[in-house]
Amino acid sequence: MAFRDTLKANLDVALASTSVGVSAELPFSSAGEPLYSKNMKFVYLDEDNINKSLLFTTLDNSDVTETTTTVTGYLAVDAKTQPTDIDTITSAIINSRFAISGQTTRECAMTTDIEADVLIYTFNFNFITV
Amino acid sequence: MPATPINVSAANEAVLHLAATDAATANSAVDALVVPGMQDITINNSTGVFRFKTLDSTAESAVTTPATNQLSLNCIVDSTAFFGTATGADDDAKENGLFGVSKNKTKVYFNVYFDGTDTGSKFLSGSGYVSGLAPTVNMDSPVWVTPVTIEVDGDFTQHDVPA
Repeated sequence: MAFRDTLKANLDVALASTSVGVSAELPFSSAGEPLYSKNMKFVYLDEDNINKSLLFTTLDNSDVTETTTTVTGYLAVDAKTQPTDIDTITSAIINSRFAISGQTTRECAMTTDIEADVLIYTFNFNFITV
Repeated sequence: MPATPINVSAANEAVLHLAATDAATANSAVDALVVPGMQDITINNSTGVFRFKTLDSTAESAVTTPATNQLSLNCIVDSTAFFGTATGADDDAKENGLFGVSKNKTKVYFNVYFDGTDTGSKFLSGSGYVSGLAPTVNMDSPVWVTPVTIEVDGDFTQHDVPA
């Protein structure tokens, strides 16, 4: 199961009683505008990005590789009138990283950006395992 | 004369065999404990030095004294190689693993191959005791790794792998 699917399943439950929803669609652009800007108050999750790098090289080629998976999530809200439960929402999204098991590192960095009157939250999930 | 480097880029060129039974067992990859997942290996042949001065010379003279021989390596902890096969019919090094021969202070015979185990390849042999195990792991490198030292009892002997 892709990490995106696990995160979405977790967010479906965690955000059920909040003022935002979770979209099953990818955050593609339609008519030059990203879906998350067009459909505000919906969390969009991008596909998994996977990077395999060497952790240990060995003389018999039984190398150990490390797998880093990153998933980016987006949420756009009205910058003028933010949802009253926005802290709960962002907290739930950040905590959804714990839904991914078997990882040595489960991180989520949140950044914000304002475009016109839209406040865009970007969540960068980072998971590392061997 | 240009140097002829021994290139270990291909897998299984630098190889270490250990056996507790005898030196002949160490020659067999099937019977010996072939240490897997080695990250590096170092052969130390460090001679001592005795220096003396004489009244007719402006510089010290020196002679070497018997060497301290040692093999040291770092490897990924392989469960079978570290804890042994626990199969009584196996050579004790293979049966008890690196941890077993260290704990039991079992003398091991070793072969260190420089460029593989094919006919004509160079290797050093000897015997000694496994020591210096210190398996470690952390969440940034979540795979057990350990240093291994073989304190050599006596000398290294150079060989070519026979046909």
